[in-house]
Formats: sequence, structure tokens, C-alpha cells
Amino acid sequence: MNKWQLRIGNWLAEHLELPSDVILELPRITTIGQLHAYIENHKGLVLFSDTELRLKMDYGYLRISGENFVLKLMLPEEILLEGKIVEIKFVEDKSV
Amino acid sequence: MKQTQNVFFTGYVTINVEGYHPELFFDLCTRNGIVIWNIKKTGEMVCRGNIKLKDISKIREIRRGTVYKISFVQKKGLPFISKNFFVKRGLVTGIIVSMLFVFLLSNIVWDVKINGVHPEIEKRIEEQLRQYGIYPGAVKFSVGSPGVIQQNLLSDIPELLWVGVTEKGTTYYLEGVEKTVVEEKEKNGPRNIIAAKAGVIIDMFVSKGQPMVKVNDFVKKGDLLVSGELGEKLVNDEEDEEKQHQAKELITAEAEIIARTWYESEVNVPLEVNYNVLTGENKEKHYLRFWNFLLPIWGFKNPDYEEVQIDAEQSSFNFFKSKFPISYVKQNIQEKRIISQKRTHSEAIADGIEQAKKNLQNNLGENADITFEKVLHESMEHGKVKLIIYFNVNENIAKNQPISQGD
Repeated sequence: MNKWQLRIGNWLAEHLELPSDVILELPRITTIGQLHAYIENHKGLVLFSDTELRLKMDYGYLRISGENFVLKLMLPEEILLEGKIVEIKFVEDKSV
Repeated sequence: MKQTQNVFFTGYVTINVEGYHPELFFDLCTRNGIVIWNIKKTGEMVCRGNIKLKDISKIREIRRGTVYKISFVQKKGLPFISKNFFVKRGLVTGIIVSMLFVFLLSNIVWDVKINGVHPEIEKRIEEQLRQYGIYPGAVKFSVGSPGVIQQNLLSDIPELLWVGVTEKGTTYYLEGVEKTVVEEKEKNGPRNIIAAKAGVIIDMFVSKGQPMVKVNDFVKKGDLLVSGELGEKLVNDEEDEEKQHQAKELITAEAEIIARTWYESEVNVPLEVNYNVLTGENKEKHYLRFWNFLLPIWGFKNPDYEEVQIDAEQSSFNFFKSKFPISYVKQNIQEKRIISQKRTHSEAIADGIEQAKKNLQNNLGENADITFEKVLHESMEHGKVKLIIYFNVNENIAKNQPISQGD
């Protein structure tokens, strides 16, 4: 996605009130308290362990950390994470 | 969670993946369209997850291009259970067959025992039972309940006064009592005929005996109508009393005395009546009954009838001596309609007369002839019409009275 596309996408999302995750292909994260996190539209799994989940995004990656992680369901572009979620962090990585 | 909803039925396996960053192998799998769930990292280089049974070949293919090691930890679901089951097929089928055998034998009529009747009747009962499908070797399930058999037997064999049918396990015990056909004593002793009721005689048919009354006579209850003593008048003027007695000839009086009698009856006729009518719409439902729970096996929908009448029929299975707690229940749901009818005053009176007439006819028997009726009194009370009706009836009032010869 180049800069122009990004701009057009932004404009569309703003003026046509379309959901931005669809237009811009950004991950959508739904959390239920600290128990669940449902991540859609990710670009792949990078790392998973008991305490950490790292998912690829278009720009950088998403890091969720906590305890007792279990991936309840794994589908292409969708992940349901269960455990005690402590932190959700977007890490921008310009180099990717 | 739709993707993992039916996994129990399709079967799933838990796999262990070993290697550097084993979670990446799962990531690779999802990219190939494999659904994975309950992924857990059990060690630094070990990861565990569930996949569907049908995805196993796909997983093997994917693994071929990688360095990961896969091992199967657990197999779960129905396909594995049934597989296990079939491994021990011999034993299981043996058990099932033997159960079926016992079950089948328990539901066969082994013996029919008939007690208390002559061999002749016994034979007839046996034949009749054979027609109902009760004979040694018959399947019991198709046989009706003992009560029904009892009724059928009684109606089909008129010589039976009573028959008791009991079902003990696989044997039917029948206890019969024959009617001792008593020939009616034709030779009656001497008797008079007296009036059973008060009335005015309108017709007389005297076949034997001496009539003591005439047509148009009014008689009271108990009055002598036809005398069984003949020749009384002839010897009346003889002086010797003993001779008089001898001269009397005592016979059995026979006569039919038709008299007009009268009755008053009281009827209450409601102006509004509700009664139930079956519309003929019906639906059958079949259930298996487990203890007190009814499991529908056919006819799941409830018919949308407003009012219903339900007839249920139950037949049970036997196992050895005891009844199986499972039985088969057939329900017949019939649509019922409650019809409420309002009558006008005059209609109610007409209905009341009709009803009273019918009652009277029932009481008096077929030979009575109702000739005249009149409403004597009518009143309204609580939405009911109360009628007092007067009837004239032509009927036979002859009643036999034996002449005592004791003295």
C-alpha cells in the first residue's frame, strides 16, 4: 500500500463512515476484560509463548503480553487469545 | 467458535510440534486453511494444539517441507470411539445378540393355561385366542392387554359367564366360569295375575285363567286381574267346604293386561348447553417411554387444535420376568369442539318433553306406548326451565303372583 492509497483510504473511512479496519486493512482487536482478545486482520503470527503473542501488521507488529496464554482458535487472519492479558502494545517498525 | 463446534462428531487429534518456534508451524497451517484450536506452549520448543481428523493428511504434507517434528498425543471424538468399539466387535456383538435373544424370548407367549371350564369350552377358548393371536410362540407385543382379551372373549363365547385373563411373564392364565344355562321352569305353580300398577284397563288378552276385571275398569296396584282358581263360582253353593276346595282347580294364569297408566315427571332443561364434539381431525403421536419420560419418536408437531381429547395406548417390553422400564406409547390426539347452544324458552320446553319421554320409555321398556303428554307446570330458575310433565302410557300391567298352597 503506497502513500496515495493510504490517503484515499483515510479519506474514505472519514467521509463515507466505513469501518477503518476494512478500508485500511488494519488489525481489529476486541478484548473482553483481561480474559479474551480477539484479533482479526493480522498479517501472521511471529511469536507465541505462555506470556507473549506477537502478530505481524502492515507497519510493525502487535505485542500482547500477559500470563497463561492459550490460543483458543486459530484461523487465517483471526486469532482468539485466552489468558490474562496485561498489555497490548503496537510496535512500529519502519524498516518492515 | 463455529469452526470447532462439531469436532466431537468428526473427531480430532492433539498434536505436539517440536522445533524452533513451533508456533510458526501452526501459523503456516492456518495459512493453508487448517483450523487449529487450544494451542498451548508447553515448553520452549514444544507446542501443542488440536486439529481436525480430516486435516491430518494436510498437516503431514506441510510438515514435509519443514524441520518440525510432529507427534500425535491424543485422539478424541466419535470416530475413534466407534473404532475402538469395533475392535472388540466379537464381544460386543455377542453381548448385544444375547441381550436381543433374551429380550425376544421374554416377549414371546410360551404357554396359555386355561382353568375352570369344560374341555369343550376350553377348546373353543383356545381357538378364539388363536384368532386374537395368542398361542404358544406368538409375539406378545402385538397382543392386546388382558382387559381387552377378557372383553373380547366374553363377547365371542356366549357360554362364558366370566373370564379372567392374567399375564404372568410369558404365560397367560385364563380362569373361566361357565354360564350354567338354567332352563326356565315352564311348569310354574298355580298363580294369579295381579296389577303391577294402577291404571285403567283398555285391553285384555287372557289365555289361561279366569278374568276378574273388565275393560275400562279402574284397578289399583295389587288388584287381582286374572284368577288362577277355576270353577270357584260353580261350587260356591255347595255346603261342604272340603268339597269346595277340591272343586277348585288351580292353574297357571296367563294373560296380558294392557292398561292406561299415568306418570308425572319432572325435568330441568338448561337454556344454554355446552357439549363436546369430535371434529374427526386427529393426529397420532408415538413415544418411547423411559420411566416417566416420554421421548417422541414420531409426530413431533403439536397439532394446532384448540381443544383436544387424548387417547393413549401403551405397550411395554419385557425382560426376563420384569417389565422393561421402556415402553411404547401411542397417543391419538383428536380435535374437540365445544359447542354451546342456546335455546329459546319454547325450544327448551320441547327438548324437555322429548327428554322426559325418552327417560320414561327407557324405564318402562319397549312395549310401553306413550300416548299422551301434557306440561302441567313450568317455571324458570337460574337459567333453567323446570317442567312437570304428565304422561299417559299404554302398557302391560300383568304381574304374576303364585297362589300359596302351603296350608
